[in-house]
Amino acid sequence: MTTKMAINAKDIFRNQHRLIRFIAQSIRLCSNQSLKAAQAAQQLQQQKSTADFQITASVDAQHTSAPEPVKHDKDLGHQFRASQLSVRLAAPEQLQPKPDNDEELGFGRLFTDHMLKIYYHKSLGGWQRPEITPMENLVMHPAAKVLHYAVELFEGMKAYRGVDGKIRIFRPDMNMNRMNLAAQRSGLPTFEGKEFVQCLSRLLTIDSEWVPHTDTASLYIRPTLIGIDPTLGVASSDSALLYAILSPVGSYFKTGSSGAVSLLADPSYVRAWPGGVGNRKMGSNYAPTINVQKEAAARGLQQVLWLYGEDHQLTEVGTMNIFMFYVNDQGEQELVTPPLSGLILPGITRDSILRMTRQWGKFKVTEANITMPMVCELLNQGRLLELFGAGTACVVSPVNRINYLGQDLYIPTMEQEKPVHELIRETLTDIQYGRVDHPWSIVID
Amino acid sequence: MSRLLRRNSSQLRLLLSSGGQVTRLASSGEVSPPTAGQQEIRKQKRQPPPVVPDSEIKKSVFISQSSDVFTNLALEDWLYKNFDFSHHHVLLLWANDPCVVIGRHQNPFTEANVSKLVDRGITLARRNSGGGAVYHDLGNLNCTFFSPRERYDRKYNLNIVTRALFREWAIKAEINDRDDIVVMNKKISGTAAKLGHPNSYHHCTILASANKLHLGESLVREPANYISRATASVPSPIRNLVDVNRTVSVPQLRSAVGYEYLRTAATSLEDGGSTQTMKQRGFQLINPTEKWFPGIEELRSNYSSWDWVIGKTPKFTVQKDLDVKGDDPGMKLKLSVEVEAGLMKEIGIQLPQSDQLVPVVTPLQGKPYNEENLNGIVGALKLVSASNVKQAINGSA
Repeated sequence: MTTKMAINAKDIFRNQHRLIRFIAQSIRLCSNQSLKAAQAAQQLQQQKSTADFQITASVDAQHTSAPEPVKHDKDLGHQFRASQLSVRLAAPEQLQPKPDNDEELGFGRLFTDHMLKIYYHKSLGGWQRPEITPMENLVMHPAAKVLHYAVELFEGMKAYRGVDGKIRIFRPDMNMNRMNLAAQRSGLPTFEGKEFVQCLSRLLTIDSEWVPHTDTASLYIRPTLIGIDPTLGVASSDSALLYAILSPVGSYFKTGSSGAVSLLADPSYVRAWPGGVGNRKMGSNYAPTINVQKEAAARGLQQVLWLYGEDHQLTEVGTMNIFMFYVNDQGEQELVTPPLSGLILPGITRDSILRMTRQWGKFKVTEANITMPMVCELLNQGRLLELFGAGTACVVSPVNRINYLGQDLYIPTMEQEKPVHELIRETLTDIQYGRVDHPWSIVID
Repeated sequence: MSRLLRRNSSQLRLLLSSGGQVTRLASSGEVSPPTAGQQEIRKQKRQPPPVVPDSEIKKSVFISQSSDVFTNLALEDWLYKNFDFSHHHVLLLWANDPCVVIGRHQNPFTEANVSKLVDRGITLARRNSGGGAVYHDLGNLNCTFFSPRERYDRKYNLNIVTRALFREWAIKAEINDRDDIVVMNKKISGTAAKLGHPNSYHHCTILASANKLHLGESLVREPANYISRATASVPSPIRNLVDVNRTVSVPQLRSAVGYEYLRTAATSLEDGGSTQTMKQRGFQLINPTEKWFPGIEELRSNYSSWDWVIGKTPKFTVQKDLDVKGDDPGMKLKLSVEVEAGLMKEIGIQLPQSDQLVPVVTPLQGKPYNEENLNGIVGALKLVSASNVKQAINGSA
């Protein structure tokens, strides 16, 4: 077998799942060729040229560490099961009309027709039966703990409609684990993540038409856990409500902009501190950041770069984790992100990027502190290549300008020839939209 | 209040089973639509797909947010071409602004007065399924039942409608041999279908509170003699449901038919009540724009194009009496125009006694057939006399 044949065979073998899907779709079609088949054919051709690294179907054992299972409190009571789910469907009059275009969507302004609610009452034995109801207001006592002491935590995840029309969610087990860890810290009851994901899947199936049939649209999922105990004591909540709402989101980047963001880096504002809860996704972390964001906007900047300590360590960008791609002292390319020292939210996109890039093995990947003096030095020497944020909302968000101590620093993120952040974005979205089969992306439809 | 009735419907269920309505269906639901040109013979050559058990099939009711007939036809087409119905049956409910919709193989000129429709702002559309011409307005609800081809079952669908009417308003409706739904001998619904592979759909109308005056006036053909082999509509006396029960309205009808569809098992007419409804995917509003359904704009522009609405008319001939000057009244000449793909192809004058056709040369040849152009020819021929015609014949003979 010649080398050329071997290469072609390898290509076909690597892309066989795409080929199979394409053929299956063509057979499924009625007489006319549908748009999907044409798109699938296009993608097949596109991907053949860019694959100079492998997206393997299995994640390497060396780079995997499954999240530790949560230890429930002894006197928590019983858990809820997805099999107990009861559904109350919205009547036609209760349905929300769908908007005509993206401009009306914004982020989190519009919500779907149904929600998931699960109550916890210690006095009733623990977690109650989950229910799916039409989207409705919550009713609670004015002394409810969430209203006084911000006994609240939330999650952010997305559902994607894949190229085969099926709905997928990305690594939901990670979000569930994160949620339970935050619950323990706030005196809220922990729960079985697997059961919650199943209930969520049912909710997504019911509201699946809120995800457009294109391959660039997604539905934002917001699971929330609040303490509703109607007593003013600063103590654990005997009653809580775990609920999830869905919001259709338009494309993150508005048309016309290059997509890169400008940041305000002011060391006088601190988002998190050692011993605090910077590593937990709690609502109380975000309220204090609103005014700072307002100030950044007033100065013509889009996001806030959160610094910590005497040496002005970079911790997070807005509500995202931060990554830097540069040429290190040994002259090799390196991707670095701050370690999980307690100040950093353990982002799932962050974790996915670290695992993925380590598996590629194309450049060094480290978790180490980054400081502003370091950034300035690298910039001066022309060794700073890219700076970008990573989060669920937009996958990666390139940074092109930082306003630090009155000075504007211009980062050449968008000027790179083959930007690493683009490669990362493409790979992750390929997995999320089902263009490649991967255990991280779970089909729920 | 009516929703309570629906949930606690055990009494109604008893009534239904003894009422003698159609309960069991023939298992082979392969009924071909009553039009020329529909083929459904190919199925023997295909491998039968795996049987999906009833419990795995979930149902949705889609309600279109649009009232434009072309957009809704495009949405129906998009779902037919792109959706996977193997585990998911869909009922699409839609209503249009005033329009006349003709069947795939019909001749709009024999079904309606096309020029009058244009004057009145009533849209003319051609759908993709066969059958006859109907008038739609916002008092008429359209239901399209989507399923994979092997689970196409027209009787099931029509029974969903009759059951909904009974459960909600105690209206007794029957299904006649032509698959129309009739109430007290008058038609309230017409049916058409499209069987393809792998998907199929069956759609029907339900007259709730349509404007009967406009309906009657729109479905009157143009005053001329048409010789056409296109599918002809079978006119039937119709009535509005609101004439039978004053409280019937299109929003309530949407709700009633939708819930009946959700509470019934997928492949048999078994009512599962609220337990069954709870397992389904429920109601969804659908916004048929390019953002939500890429490719729908193209379908819509096709449905609204002249080439589709008029151009797809099967070949036909129009004959109109000509008033020719100065002769015996027995000498009536006829103008005969052959129209193909909506364009006037052969124009001639026919003599009363003979079959002979004297060709007429006019710049209007090849132009679209419409009232204005036809009158243009008639006007131009006013100056012709019988003797001219005789001369032309004898001269050419």
